[in-house]
Amino acid sequence: MTNIRLIILSAVALVLTSASQAEMVTDPDVIVSRANLAAYYAGADGRSEARMIIRDAQGREQRRQFTVLRRDVEDGGDQDFLVVFRQPSDVRGTVFLVKKHVGADDNRWLYLPGLDLVKRISAGDKRTSFVGAHYFYEDISGRAPDEDHHTLIRTTDEFYVLEHTPKDPSSVEFSSYITWIARETYLPMKIEYTNTAGRVYRRVEVVEVKDIGGHPTVTKSRVIDLDGKGETSMEFRYIAYDLGIPETVFTERSLRRPPRDWLKRPAGKK
Amino acid sequence: MKHAILSFAINRPRTVYLIVALLVLFFAAQLPSIHIDTDPENMLPASQADRVFHNRVEKEFALYDAIVVGMVNEKDPNGIYNMESLGALHALSSGILAIDGVITPDVMSLSLSDNITQGKSGEIRFSWMMREPPETPEIAAGIRSKVARLPLVLNTLVSVDGRAAAIYVPIKRKDLSYPISLEIQALADDLESNDDFYITGLPVAEDTFGVQMFRQMAISAPLAGLMIFLLMWYFFRNSRLVLAPMIVAIVTVVITMGLLVSLGFTVHIMSSMIPIFLMPIAVVDSVHIMSEFADHYDPSKDVKQSIERVVQHLYKPMLFTSLTTSVGFASLLLTPIPPVQVFGAFVAFGVLLAFLVTILLIPAYIVRMKPESLANLARLKAGSDANTLLARILRAAGRFAFSRSKFILAIVAGILVLSIAGVLQIQINDNPVRWFKDSHRIRIADQVLNKHFAGTYDAFFVLEYQDVSEIENFKKRAQALINDAERAGADIAYVRTEIEQEAVGPQQYFDSIIAAIDDLLFETEQGVEALEALMSFTEGVQVGSKYFQDPDALHLIETMQLALMNTGGVGKTNALPDIVKVVNRELFGGEEADYDIPATSSAVAQTLLQFQSSHRPQDLWHMVTPDFRSTAIWLQLKSGDNQDMTRVVAAMDDYLRVNPLPDGVTANWAGKTYINLVWQDEMVAGMLKSLLGAFVIVFFMMALLFRSPALGVLAMVPLTVTILAIYGLIGWIDKDYDMPIAVLSSLTLGLSIDFAIHFIQRMRTLVAEAGSFAAASLHIFEEPARAIARNAIVIALGFTPLFFASLVPYITVGAFMASIMVVSALATLLLLPALMGISRRWLFCSEKKAAPEIN
Repeated sequence: MTNIRLIILSAVALVLTSASQAEMVTDPDVIVSRANLAAYYAGADGRSEARMIIRDAQGREQRRQFTVLRRDVEDGGDQDFLVVFRQPSDVRGTVFLVKKHVGADDNRWLYLPGLDLVKRISAGDKRTSFVGAHYFYEDISGRAPDEDHHTLIRTTDEFYVLEHTPKDPSSVEFSSYITWIARETYLPMKIEYTNTAGRVYRRVEVVEVKDIGGHPTVTKSRVIDLDGKGETSMEFRYIAYDLGIPETVFTERSLRRPPRDWLKRPAGKK
Repeated sequence: MKHAILSFAINRPRTVYLIVALLVLFFAAQLPSIHIDTDPENMLPASQADRVFHNRVEKEFALYDAIVVGMVNEKDPNGIYNMESLGALHALSSGILAIDGVITPDVMSLSLSDNITQGKSGEIRFSWMMREPPETPEIAAGIRSKVARLPLVLNTLVSVDGRAAAIYVPIKRKDLSYPISLEIQALADDLESNDDFYITGLPVAEDTFGVQMFRQMAISAPLAGLMIFLLMWYFFRNSRLVLAPMIVAIVTVVITMGLLVSLGFTVHIMSSMIPIFLMPIAVVDSVHIMSEFADHYDPSKDVKQSIERVVQHLYKPMLFTSLTTSVGFASLLLTPIPPVQVFGAFVAFGVLLAFLVTILLIPAYIVRMKPESLANLARLKAGSDANTLLARILRAAGRFAFSRSKFILAIVAGILVLSIAGVLQIQINDNPVRWFKDSHRIRIADQVLNKHFAGTYDAFFVLEYQDVSEIENFKKRAQALINDAERAGADIAYVRTEIEQEAVGPQQYFDSIIAAIDDLLFETEQGVEALEALMSFTEGVQVGSKYFQDPDALHLIETMQLALMNTGGVGKTNALPDIVKVVNRELFGGEEADYDIPATSSAVAQTLLQFQSSHRPQDLWHMVTPDFRSTAIWLQLKSGDNQDMTRVVAAMDDYLRVNPLPDGVTANWAGKTYINLVWQDEMVAGMLKSLLGAFVIVFFMMALLFRSPALGVLAMVPLTVTILAIYGLIGWIDKDYDMPIAVLSSLTLGLSIDFAIHFIQRMRTLVAEAGSFAAASLHIFEEPARAIARNAIVIALGFTPLFFASLVPYITVGAFMASIMVVSALATLLLLPALMGISRRWLFCSEKKAAPEIN
């Protein structure tokens, strides 16, 4: 008897404390908007180096290493990205420049040093593979919150669990996805995509989060292709925020002549 | 031994029944766990080199057996490029993705294809070819020009004439192909469209065959049983008596098949025919016993004594005919094709089992027959059938054979010459799709789709690069650089560990070294120059190790593609250069002039990085491995016939002899169509070995049995003539030499020798009894010739139900069994007397004194 009472009491206490720790948000749009900011808009600008390992069903690996420079035009709004490849050495110097526009098509450029070619990339479909990884272009640049309907399906001690359904189902390969957004940091910690057959076929999950200059930042994540059995893991290192990267870095000129100073690793940090 | 068995059978009939019944029950209980296997890959042992390579290629390039679904529109002027057809194709493709067992990411269809084009302002654009069904006729027609620009799609997913579209459906397991093909058929049936849908592909053919084979076993074997029952009833007119051999046949079949299943063997096309082969063979010995018993039975005497005498009398010839038949089948063990070995071994076992069951069960059965039933046998006494048509024909044949020896020999010599000419024309060929009749929907689908497309049969020409000393050389040269870095004060311990590790593959090995140097370069301030030198050296080696990323290697692949097309047997090839050229063209603005391979390995790498930014990046790895050391050229063949594949392989061998591959590069074949060819070759060589082996053993058995090498040679004559004549016939009528045909040689050997044994042995006995060859030559064409003819008729007609089978190999076996029986009976009854007539002094004079050994 006493045991049961104790359990009930502690359960009640637990619920009360966790509820008091973080405010309880019930509007799914607010949660999604905060998650979007936490995941893609930390600081006014930032740099990081990504090391991607693409592993196929047979365990064979391909590596990609690139530096990402980012500058927010407006928090939660337009952004500029410059992605410069370092490894493998045969694609070194390949550059992507992205001008992300909220509510309009992005502008994307590409530079291929081996062909000495600057080429625009069509805005069209964002759900294409990012350089052969299991990540989509849209996973890297962020999916605009207003492209989906959001429903809060439950709130746990740790997570807001939301279901998202696309407003234009013909533009995507999934029929819905569920995100587990950390209540404390608003970082989406797990995303599961369901196909039209109702089967979860793809999972993106955060493996490690670190505090970088006061911003909780995803430093390791991975995406698993549950159908094809392959996965890509991505590690971010040498992360820095609020560096004051000028707008001029994000212009077509940087394609052929990447901005060395900004691509250099910040000393002493890992 | 034989006395013990016999007295047991006669004195303890109930115990015999009980034992047999228990055995039958036990082995019948094993039958439900039967496992059908129609995968032609299993024609080769799992360790066979080509099969091992084929499996490695399938794994490394993530290739799966695929069902081919075709959609054809012959009416619309735009072919399939109309809203309705494309809508149907879209719906069908989506439906297929939802089927369990389908490898969804690798399904190939127009609606699942990625298109690479120029955008409005010259941007490169990856977009689904047909994400949604086209909404206007213009959009539908416009897809045609898009397809025309994609060499990997044109003539693979849509035919050049625009009349046919194909969906390739890779499946997880081969044995799913029949159920999945039914699901696809159901989806197609529900579509509201004017298009015709077809389903084919080797896995469907094989699995469908398995399903039908199972049914065929349930129909053909009982039908053969019924046929034999009716024939024996015709000859003996006593259903109770005739029931006994039927029981022997059923007991033999059930125990043999039960044993096969319980030992864990799968039932392959060949082993599915075991019951049909065993049934007539099992009956033959019983027929001998009963004929003889009917001859000698005297109601006033003890049944036990009569039957004992009969069995004693027949024991040795029955044993020898069983042994020779068994040897004929056991010789198939010399053929390195596991399903053929299983077939040979179990028929060999079944034949001996039938002998044992016959001498146990038949006496026990006769002993337990009622006196009234036995009395009926009197009607069958010798001579009662002496004036039938068969008897008169045989008598005339005998007179003719003995008197016109030279004429017969001349005719046979002529036949032999013709037969040898026919044998030389034999076409060795097989194709699982041809196991179905022309009218079968799989055959029709095969014809229609291969008319429109460059081919629905696939094979892979795989180029591999290997440089065994590459990593060793790297380690040696890296050593100097790493020592430099160490002297300069860098902490190179981790980099050194990475260099010294056992390399899994060159790419991963170099990647991990580069990552380690990269990390160290960030941390250290000492030895930077040496580390950077090591880094660029490693990177250089890494790029170089990606052999098939190099433009020269890509040009080599192109050359091979061209050579493959020039063989004349290939409809189309798809390979890595096709991807590179398309992406290069679209990067540079889409002009045809840019449909080319870039100049450097890095440029190729960057081009492919773009391809990997599409919707289907994984498609790249079906053509090259991620380390760029192996590349697969996909071949589309219009025919799955081994012959056609053989021609392509031979032409490529010739080509490579004149134009050798660069050092370190090897070429090999993979794919189902090729594997079929390999086992066919092994089978032909193996069959010859089996046949020669059995021939030698049977000859020695004959020489031993007759205690005369000359009579041994004589005994081999009818079967030799029969085998040559049958295979000559196969050559002349253009029937492909396929697996069932190959197996028939051993069967011929095993069965024709029986006739010769009986004929020679009876002749010898008659010569001894009658004292003159002339008298014996008249007697031999009485009861002995009738027994031989009767057995030939029973076996030949026993196989006729196979004519009505829906599967071609069964029909083939039925037809040739009947022919073999007719030819070998004729060879025995005409050629043997002719030869005996010519060489009688030599063969029989000295024999007069010798007591007949075996009757």
